[in-house]
Amino acid sequence: MPTKKKILGAAAASIMAVTMLTTSIVADQPYEGYQYDWWGDPVPSQTGYVVDKVVDGIDFGTGVRYNTDEQLKEISEQEGKTVEKTVEIGPLSDPMDIFIDRQTEKVYIVDSGNDRILVTDTELTGKVTVMDYFYNTATGKYETLNGPRGIFVRHDSDAESPDKETIIYIADYENGRVPVMYEDGSIFLEVTRPSSEFYESDVTFQPNKVLADVAGNIYVNIKSITDGAVMFAPDGTFSSYYGANRVQQTAQAIANKFWKTILDREAAQNFIQNVPMEFSNFDIDDEGFIYTVTESKSATTDIFKKLNPAGENVFIKLGYSELTFGDMASYYVHGMNYGSSISDVDIDENGVIRLLDYRNGRVFEYTDECDLLFIYGGTGNQKGLFNTPSAIEAYNNTVYVLDQRKGSITTFKRTEFGDIVHEAMALYTEGKYEEARGPWMEVLTRDSNYWFAYIGLGNAEMSQGNYETAMDYFYMNSRGGYNRAFKQFRMQFVRDNFNWFIIIIVVVIVAIVVLKMLVKKLKKKKAGGKQ
Amino acid sequence: MRFDLDMPAWKWPFYVARHPFEGFEDLRWKKAYNMKVALVIVFCFFLVTVCQTVMTGFLYNNNYVKIFNIVPLFTSTIVLFFTWVVGNWSLCTLFDGEGKMKEICVVSAYALVPYLITQVVVILASNVLLRNEAAFIMFMQYFGIVWSVVLMISAIKTVHQYTVPKTLIAILFTVLAMVIILFLLVLLMSLFQQVYVFGYSIYTELMYRFSM
Repeated sequence: MPTKKKILGAAAASIMAVTMLTTSIVADQPYEGYQYDWWGDPVPSQTGYVVDKVVDGIDFGTGVRYNTDEQLKEISEQEGKTVEKTVEIGPLSDPMDIFIDRQTEKVYIVDSGNDRILVTDTELTGKVTVMDYFYNTATGKYETLNGPRGIFVRHDSDAESPDKETIIYIADYENGRVPVMYEDGSIFLEVTRPSSEFYESDVTFQPNKVLADVAGNIYVNIKSITDGAVMFAPDGTFSSYYGANRVQQTAQAIANKFWKTILDREAAQNFIQNVPMEFSNFDIDDEGFIYTVTESKSATTDIFKKLNPAGENVFIKLGYSELTFGDMASYYVHGMNYGSSISDVDIDENGVIRLLDYRNGRVFEYTDECDLLFIYGGTGNQKGLFNTPSAIEAYNNTVYVLDQRKGSITTFKRTEFGDIVHEAMALYTEGKYEEARGPWMEVLTRDSNYWFAYIGLGNAEMSQGNYETAMDYFYMNSRGGYNRAFKQFRMQFVRDNFNWFIIIIVVVIVAIVVLKMLVKKLKKKKAGGKQ
Repeated sequence: MRFDLDMPAWKWPFYVARHPFEGFEDLRWKKAYNMKVALVIVFCFFLVTVCQTVMTGFLYNNNYVKIFNIVPLFTSTIVLFFTWVVGNWSLCTLFDGEGKMKEICVVSAYALVPYLITQVVVILASNVLLRNEAAFIMFMQYFGIVWSVVLMISAIKTVHQYTVPKTLIAILFTVLAMVIILFLLVLLMSLFQQVYVFGYSIYTELMYRFSM
């Protein structure tokens, strides 16, 4: 006979089964969106981006070499084998970098294992151009790449002719050079190892990433150099090192500093040198600021920097360098650290910052003031999750993430929720707090955990002079905002109740004086009585 | 005598606070140790710490108050205080201290009074001050702590009739003794917990046998 307990148990089990089924139906995304609350605890949140499509090399079909037929003939002679014009793209092998040229809307993919660059459109469906043989104007020969790791494309507005306007920089890792070429693939400049007086002889010159600023200065990121990026003048001569990280203040670093001040120089040289972590990737925004990220398991200093042209981190002054980028806490499972390890950064045309955490396969999206907007992505074998994400790029509200191990490009498109947040954010950063009120309200009806909406609404109330309501919005959301609102509120409160303050103070003073007089009289009476 | 020392028991802590050096000597001479007042002060210590956690203004509150848990607050005030008393007593009886357990308890509690008063002021002020007026709060906080520490040294010195260096060494070793006591307590608790688990599993085993 089934007991009451058993029936209850069966009912509970069936309810659980039903809820599990329904949740698996609802969860159409392979990852869950989350945000961080005031205490740095993760709270569930709406996702701002959903996976749109996953494209791998085979999806590209065939591609066309950009070389002319005569050039190909020459290459065939040089190589000793026939090189076809049309090629089967096939699977990508260890793609390391992706770059979107906003002006021409072209996507450049560095297919490192196959030593080639693929060029396609931003929809990833159009014609693919394969760049693998480059004409070197200095030697007059056709050259190939060897394990390229990074690419950067720049437009020179005062070029002599239109075909010399687009300049492509490739970090040719194994060849130890940065070939600089025009769109037609003719290498006109080769940046190589600087002379030994500037560059230590035991350090290799293997470019990992490369970028160039508006003036044409070339910045080369090399993993074995901790002094920052190697900066070259537009003509390829070494100019300086740029934007090193600070040394992390560990107990050992402080102890070494102490001994160095006490001991003489020769004795101090025996100590281990404290060197900063080298940064692993960088990006440049439209205003010429260079953003660097440091990929490290343990370091917390200068994980993410914004450098001005002088190489100074502007985040230090703003206090943003004290923030935690990526996941708040790192956790350990079987001795493995699963904390965030930021391997790539992208600044899009609106100034939105996206950091790529390669260990957990997540994208962290920030405003230009380092306020966390969205977290999306994850690791796994499911479609839309990553194995080893290597690069991120964003254009026109679409985020492209390159997966090195899977050899695929995943595109994310913004959800309606993401659109509303960005609309509100755009109004907010322009200072149109009142206009942003509607979108922020809409954000809160969809996700009441979305903390930045409260800050937006608080600022809207501030601009209306409703300081008390603003304080309510800022409470547990923004200390700075609360401070501003409270300052106004306190001032108003004191001004409104000034008469009461004066009355209370006067009454207290009078009461004290009267009491003192009474006590004196009483004492006198007592003393008189005794006599 | 400048002051009338025949005052009610509740006035003593304030008198002692105002006279950090001869106050405890007067207390000792008058034998005015009052356990009730001391216990009230220790309870206030607990209460003020709770208030500090919950009622400090948002601008100054760095506590994790998302989930309010009273156990760590209780441990860090009342348990800590009595560990201090027991540790100090057990150490100083070995090093010819003259203080009895009750006396140590009372003077230690009296020494807390300035800290409690400033802490109340700090809690009130944190609700009306802005971030850039933090200097006042910092000053009050340190002022209270320093005053209480001075009182505590004076109290231990007087109650055991020590010299100043001996007092400082005694305090240092008291802290060590406290660590040992707490360690043993934790050890004891985990042992008892295992005994409980053992007993409980026997109970459940028996229940299975007999209820079938």
